[in-house]
Amino acid sequence: MQIAIEEMGGGVTRVILDGRLDIEGAAAVDLKMNVIGGSSQLLLVDLQKVTFLGSMGLRSLVVPAQAVRRHGGKVVVFGPVPMVEEVLKAANIDTLIPIHHELSSALAALQ
Amino acid sequence: MPDVTQKAEAHLSLKSRLAELTQVRPWVDRLAAEHSIPEATVFAINLCLEEALSNVIRHGYKCETHHSLTVHFSATANGDLIFTIEDNAPVFNACEFTESPAPASPDEIKPGGQGIHLMRKFAGSLRWEPLPHGNRLTLGFNYGAQGGEPR
Repeated sequence: MQIAIEEMGGGVTRVILDGRLDIEGAAAVDLKMNVIGGSSQLLLVDLQKVTFLGSMGLRSLVVPAQAVRRHGGKVVVFGPVPMVEEVLKAANIDTLIPIHHELSSALAALQ
Repeated sequence: MPDVTQKAEAHLSLKSRLAELTQVRPWVDRLAAEHSIPEATVFAINLCLEEALSNVIRHGYKCETHHSLTVHFSATANGDLIFTIEDNAPVFNACEFTESPAPASPDEIKPGGQGIHLMRKFAGSLRWEPLPHGNRLTLGFNYGAQGGEPR
């Protein structure tokens, strides 16, 4: 599981996840995700390259998203593949982190 | 009547360590290649096995590492895929587990505890039986090998 962070301008932090967010993948990114959640105000979680998402992976998304919301920020998910999106929706995570498939609409939702 | 003649079987034995779960995906990938299982069904199988097995290790065995668990696979010619997980953990009926009500607000979403909920959503069927010293959880999927509906 790979994680990359990019500052996009306008105060938006883009975190790009690449790989499988299974138990092993979640363990690999949890600490960084929690740090990002604690320090970002506008967070775009790019899931385009995430090929699997389990409940431990959901935790890696929910904990930082709730941290961002607690300090008044916003979080969106960008570009999940259909099965990953199905997991997000089955777990009601889309009510916490809106899902966008266009980068422009994801960025607009953060403004 | 659909042809339910048994087509194949396979077996995976694991120790009760989360690290052992890295063996599951290659095993499922091999079965998927052998049985031409569609990608979405493979995703659902991997998801349900990870949730079920990690629940046994973390909650049933309480992360004690000297236990074991097994996964048995069987397939029929009409696309039924059956995964049976057996453990020696204290009795726990995942099928009767009462889920928490849906969160009233996004901030009330719990970071964990979604495993059984996801299994119920992604498995075609879920059945639990007690064993003399443990549990048997049977997960069914169907990918419509002879024209049926997926999962």
